[in-house]
Order: sequence, then C-alpha cells, then structure tokens
Amino acid sequence: MSTLVRALAVAAGALLAFPSAAQTPRNGGELVFPVPSEPPSYDGHREETFGLIHPIAPFYNTLLRVDPNDRSGTKPYPSVAESWTESQDGKTFTLKIRSGIKFHDGSDLTARDVKASYDKIIFPPPGVGSTRKGQYAVVEKVEAPNPTTVVFRLKQSSGSFIASLLSPYNFIYKADILAKEPNWYEKNIMGSGPFTFVEHVKGSHVVGKKNPNYWDKGKPHLDGFRAIFMSSSSAQVAAVRGERAHIQFRGFTPKDRDTLKGALGDKITVQESAWDCILLVAINHEKKPFDDKRVRRALTLALDRHTGSKALSQIAIVKSVAGVQVPGTPFATPPEELNKLAGYWTDAEKSRAEARRLLREAGVPDGFSFTFKNRGIPMPYEPLGVWMIDQWRQVGLNVKQEVIEAAAYFGVIRKGDFEAAMDFQCGYIVEPDLDMYKFLSSDRNPANYGRYKDPVLDALYDKQSGETNVEKRKQLVRQFEKRVLDDEAHYLMTLQWHRIIPHSSKVKGWTVTPSHYLNNTLDTVWLSE
Amino acid sequence: MAFYIFKRLLAMIPTLLGVAVLIFILLRVVPGDVVEARFLTQGSQFQSQELMDIERKKLGLDQPMWKQFTTWMGGLARLDFGISMWTGSPITEEIKLRFALSLQLAIMASTIATLLAIPLGILAAVKQDTWVDYAVRVFSIAGLAMPSFWLGILMILTMLIVFKWLPPMVFTPLWVNPWENLAQLIWPALAVGYRYSAVGTRMMRSAMLEVLREDYIRTARAKGLWLKLILSRHALKNAILPVLTIISLEFAFLLGGLVVTEQVFNLNGLGMLFVEGIARRDYTLIQALVMLVATAFLFVNFLVDIAYAWLDPRIRYR
Repeated sequence: MSTLVRALAVAAGALLAFPSAAQTPRNGGELVFPVPSEPPSYDGHREETFGLIHPIAPFYNTLLRVDPNDRSGTKPYPSVAESWTESQDGKTFTLKIRSGIKFHDGSDLTARDVKASYDKIIFPPPGVGSTRKGQYAVVEKVEAPNPTTVVFRLKQSSGSFIASLLSPYNFIYKADILAKEPNWYEKNIMGSGPFTFVEHVKGSHVVGKKNPNYWDKGKPHLDGFRAIFMSSSSAQVAAVRGERAHIQFRGFTPKDRDTLKGALGDKITVQESAWDCILLVAINHEKKPFDDKRVRRALTLALDRHTGSKALSQIAIVKSVAGVQVPGTPFATPPEELNKLAGYWTDAEKSRAEARRLLREAGVPDGFSFTFKNRGIPMPYEPLGVWMIDQWRQVGLNVKQEVIEAAAYFGVIRKGDFEAAMDFQCGYIVEPDLDMYKFLSSDRNPANYGRYKDPVLDALYDKQSGETNVEKRKQLVRQFEKRVLDDEAHYLMTLQWHRIIPHSSKVKGWTVTPSHYLNNTLDTVWLSE
Repeated sequence: MAFYIFKRLLAMIPTLLGVAVLIFILLRVVPGDVVEARFLTQGSQFQSQELMDIERKKLGLDQPMWKQFTTWMGGLARLDFGISMWTGSPITEEIKLRFALSLQLAIMASTIATLLAIPLGILAAVKQDTWVDYAVRVFSIAGLAMPSFWLGILMILTMLIVFKWLPPMVFTPLWVNPWENLAQLIWPALAVGYRYSAVGTRMMRSAMLEVLREDYIRTARAKGLWLKLILSRHALKNAILPVLTIISLEFAFLLGGLVVTEQVFNLNGLGMLFVEGIARRDYTLIQALVMLVATAFLFVNFLVDIAYAWLDPRIRYR
C-alpha cells in the first residue's frame, strides 16, 4: 500500500513539476516571439549574443544539450550524440553519434561533421576567429574514428568537460562546407535542426518552418516560428499584451510582469528563475588604497545584500543573494554557509561597524572620496549603482558615479582607467569552470579587470577543474569562493539577476532555466490553441 | 537660372567633402570600436587579444587612419559604400531595406503636416482673436508641447486597451499589401505629422497675418475682390514661403531622425539603423548614413531655393 501511495505521490509531483509534460502536445501553429537584439552574423561559433541564439538555434543541433525540462539548466541530455562515456583517467570522452540525422540539404550528419565543427571552434584555421577557443584549452584533439563515434582527448582530466559540450552556440555544421569555406556559416544557414530557414529580413524578422524530416520523430510540434526584432521593451510588452506575440525568451522586468498579469490574467503564465547573469564590482588593485585588502573587504561589508534584495527585486531584474554560483544549482553554496562570508552577514549593523573599523585600520579617512564607473544601461546597472553608492555612504565613503556609454565601457575598463567599476558576467550554463574563470589572475585572463595576480586562487581553480568527484569539487569551489569574495575580496558580487518570463498561456513545453541562451531549439514547444 | 542651378549643384561637393572628413574623424575619436562592441559586451570571460586582432584585421581597422580614409573616399567616388562592419553585408543592401519605410513615413507625415498646417494657419489668421483662432492655437500649441513618441505611446495604449488591437509588427511594402502597410504606418505618420503640423500652423498663421496687413491686400479688398480669391491668389503665395522651408527641412530630418518614434512603433527604419550603428561603432554604416542624410538636406535645400523663385518672381538669382 505504502508503495502505491509513494508511486502516486511521485506521479503527482511529476505532474506538478512539469504540467506541460502531462498534456498531449498539439501539433500546428506559428510561435511568434520578439527578440530584443539582432544577430550580427549567423555563425554560432563566432557570436556571443542571445540575439543569435533565439532566432537561429532552431535551425541547428548541438552535440549535447541541456535537458529541456531541467529548471537548473545543468543536466546533460542527448542530442546529436545519443550517449557518452568517460575514461577511467577522465581524459578521454567518447560520444556515440546518432544515425539517421540529416542536414536540411538531405545529406547525412556523421561524426566527421561533428569533428569538423569542433575543430573550427577549438583549432580555428588561420584568419578565422573563434570566441570559444579559450574555453576548450584543455582539449588536445578531436577524433572521428568512424561515422558514429567522436572522441575528445584532453590534456588533463576535467570535471566540466561534458558541461562545455552543452553550449547552445556549438552548432554542428557540415564538414564539406567548412572545408571549402570556413566562414560560409557567417552568412548562410544550413543545419539539421527542427526548423528550416525561410527568410531573414534585416532589422525586421526571421522565419522558420517545420523540418518534416527531423530525426526526433513527432517533433517539432509547431508548424513554424517567427522571431521579430524589437529593441524597445515597451513595444515587446505591448506585443505580448496585444497577443501579437506569445513569449519573449530573454526576460521582462517585475513591473512588466505585473502589467501583463494584471491586463491578461489567466491568459498569461509566469515562469521565473534566478538568472545566470550578475553585475560585479571590479576593484582596481593597482590604485591606492584599493591595493589594501582591508579596504576591499570594507567595500563588500558595507553592502547589505539581504535588505537590498528585498527592495531592488521590486523594481529591477535582480533578486537572489549569491556567491560565485547561481542559487539553486548543483555547486551553489547553501545560504547558511554563504551568510558567513564578508558582506553576506545578516546583521547589517555589525557588518558596517566592521567595515568602518577596517577603513580606519587601513588609514582611510572618514568621507574618503572615489569614483565609481558604471555602464550606461538603465536596467539593472542604474538601480544597482545608486544602491551601492548609498550603502558605501553609510560607512563614511563619498562615492561619485561616472556613467560611460555602453559600447565604449569595456574598452575604458580594460585599460585600467578606474578605481572601482561595474563589471558583468553572463553564462550559458551554470558551471564552476565557466563562472569562476573570470576571477583568475590578470595574466591568465585579460577579462579580469581587477588587475590582480593571485597564484593561490589560480591553483584552487585548476584543482577544482580537474576534480571529477562532485563532492570534493564542491569543497574546492567553496574555498575558491571564500578567497575571492571574503579573504582577499578581489571582486564584489552585487545581486543575482532574476529572469522573469511572462508568456501566453497557450505556450506549452517550454521550461525557464537560469540562462537565456538555453532551451531555444523550440522542438518541444507547442501551442495549446 | 540654369547657371545658378549648376553653381548650387557644384557647391554641394565641398560641403559633402567636409561632412565626410568630419564624420570620419569624429567616429574614430569616440572610444571603442566595432570589435569591442561585438566581443566585450556580452559578459563572456574568454575573449582573447588574438581574436580581437583577427577581427580588426578582417575589417581593415589595423590599417593607418589615412589609408582607411582614402579607401573609403575611393569607394565613395565609385558610389560604393562598402560593407557593414557589423553584419558584413553591403551597406546599400542594409540601407535599401529601411529606406522604403523611412521615405514612405516621411512622405505620409509631411503630407499630414501640410494638410493640417496650411488650412489651419490661414483660418487662424483670417479669424484672428475669435474662438476659431483660439481653438487652432490650442491645437497647435498642444502639438508643440507633446513629443511625437509620447503621442505614439498614447496611441498604442489606447488601441490596445480600448480597441484590443495593435498595428502589425512587421513592415509590408505598400505594393505588396496596401491595407497592412497603412495599418502599420498611419499611426506613426499621424503622431509625427501632428507634431510638425503644429510648427507649420504657427508659422502659417503669423506669415499670413503679416501678409494680410500689406498694402496690396488692402487694395485688393478695396477693389471688392472676393476674400477667398485674395487669400489664394495673392496672400498665400507670399505667406507660404517660410512654411515651405520648414516643412521641407523637416522632411529631410524625418528620413533619418525618427529614432524614438520608430522604437515605439517597432519600425525598421533609418533612424533605428543610425542609432544601432552608433552603438555598435559600425563606422562604414554610420558614414554612409551621414552622407545620405547630408545629401538629402542639401538636395531639399536646393529644391526649396528653386521653389522660392517660382513662388515669388521678385526673387532673382545670379
């Protein structure tokens, strides 16, 4: 009896967790969605914007993907590869390529195409840029011993290698085309995905239609999709509100969510998640007094993140108090442990008293003035900037904000012309290797704008990266986090972004994840009417 | 007259050259370039200097400034604007797509502005200090006070909340589906046209009031001529000159200056392209757009000058 009850409870739980999975998908209809940004080219190996993923990903398959029902957006799921194995020493990964996958031109997709695609990403030919080359520095070579097997040989073991194969950007291209012209995919689309390309009117829209020969039988459910480029957020909200668009996959503000829910009631379903994007504060270690870790610790101790979260989440796309991993994901530090780090204490007054003490000890006078550089983007840079300046004022610091135009911003910061500056990180998957690379010494990572060198931190990173035991790796991640955010306070985390997707209730089969780069193949999505 | 036209056309060349030099230098003075805008703004931590160098080389940004300038000028002389640094597509293709929409919107908005401004301005002048004049003044001052994008937002919200309807989100050319086309463009044309009609109405009213006090109008009235005839044959021709100048210059501005209105109505026009080009540091695209708008301004100015001579025979050109 108890077994039956448990089975029923599990079934009910599954239904609640994935309501769309419990319904029979309906075939037909065109999904319409605004995209706030347009892709510069069609080449996923080259670009880095969700403006490419949202309209172009449905035309392609990747080697592996993230489980489309996994809200943490971290579980590997078969795609072109139907299974994979790892060698004992963790240095060889063998993937079995699914048979029967066809490109849209009718040719077969084999291991040779996978190898050619990954070779282009990891070992690009001279003159071809690959934005993700550095991410695969651990790969020694890629082999395709037969049409259904791909082997990745690594220089050393890696705990994150499978996660790196989940990148939604790593479209599988046709080897013959790449051999003739490695840049062909910048201006052309020809994949094996659930949708085939119909048209792209520049500045206006991209249209895709159902691939009738898709290898995953029964999918896609939609007849097609229409991605409409729309930079104005008010126009995007109006499009969903006017039922001209079903969903916008990047995210809306809390106010937009409330407006849509208020206007459309049950016609709108809201999915929310912590977002794998965060604004950080880079503190220039080459400028005095910020070379003193007591000053840096005081800066982080001054921030009352818990109260800030409550207030800012009402008006901005931020919410969770977080460390180096997105809350709710496998390697995230539990709140009770995180709250022990400097700047995460729940007693704000105690934290501020400690900040004042450290500033005094470091010889920083009351009313000390410095400039904080912020990026000229209203959401969420502006509210977070205002909040931090107020927090610093409460420990006797007088901070002036200088806003720099968005496109010029990172050029300025890269040159080191700042004392403290807003920095930004966004990932396609929550994974310690990807999320913590940012904090490595500046001679290893030029995107470390704090301009420090910390060999201890680098060694911790390498150690956790090579650790294949999950529990041991978690401990190493915690040590890394404590060093970067507390002991040395190299960087300051603000608040984790919060992803809010209010969409038409007709849209089924889509699950929000922490990344706006994931779940955009649209093969599982269907419209209920 | 023919010599004057030739001289005016010739004078456009140094002006355009000056614009070309200015925009080329200004763009390169502003911090950041297209490679930084493309690869440093998305929050990735894996960007290498090697990648940036490859991309800069591809776009010719590794070349000295003078070489970049001469290459561009050489292309301009052959009417070749080059390729967009952001998309890699020919610039003529990028502009052509948006030009049809912007041109149609500019024509529609200017037509609405003219159709409102001229009769209302005349009416207000003729009925000076009556309730008609006050009503026109309220209407035109309201138009001046309301930015067209704000009016556009009001229009969209009204359509959405009251009529549960929104204009189409994607541009359809007039010759493909006139109804869809007008359903999308009539609203921004009304919002922008009303704003510009307000300026024209004020100008028309004051110009007409001035002309109506002239001796030759008094003489015409004393002769017993019909008021409508006096207005259309004698007063309008003289009073319309400043209005014509304003509406014509606004037309040139509308081609590339409707940034916010285009955003509000999600129009794929030249204004948005301009702003996106600047945000992305797409030098070649911005240079081409600036040259296009500068040419449009010069050409419209030229046409206005010619029209002056036609409307007012007292004006002589040498």
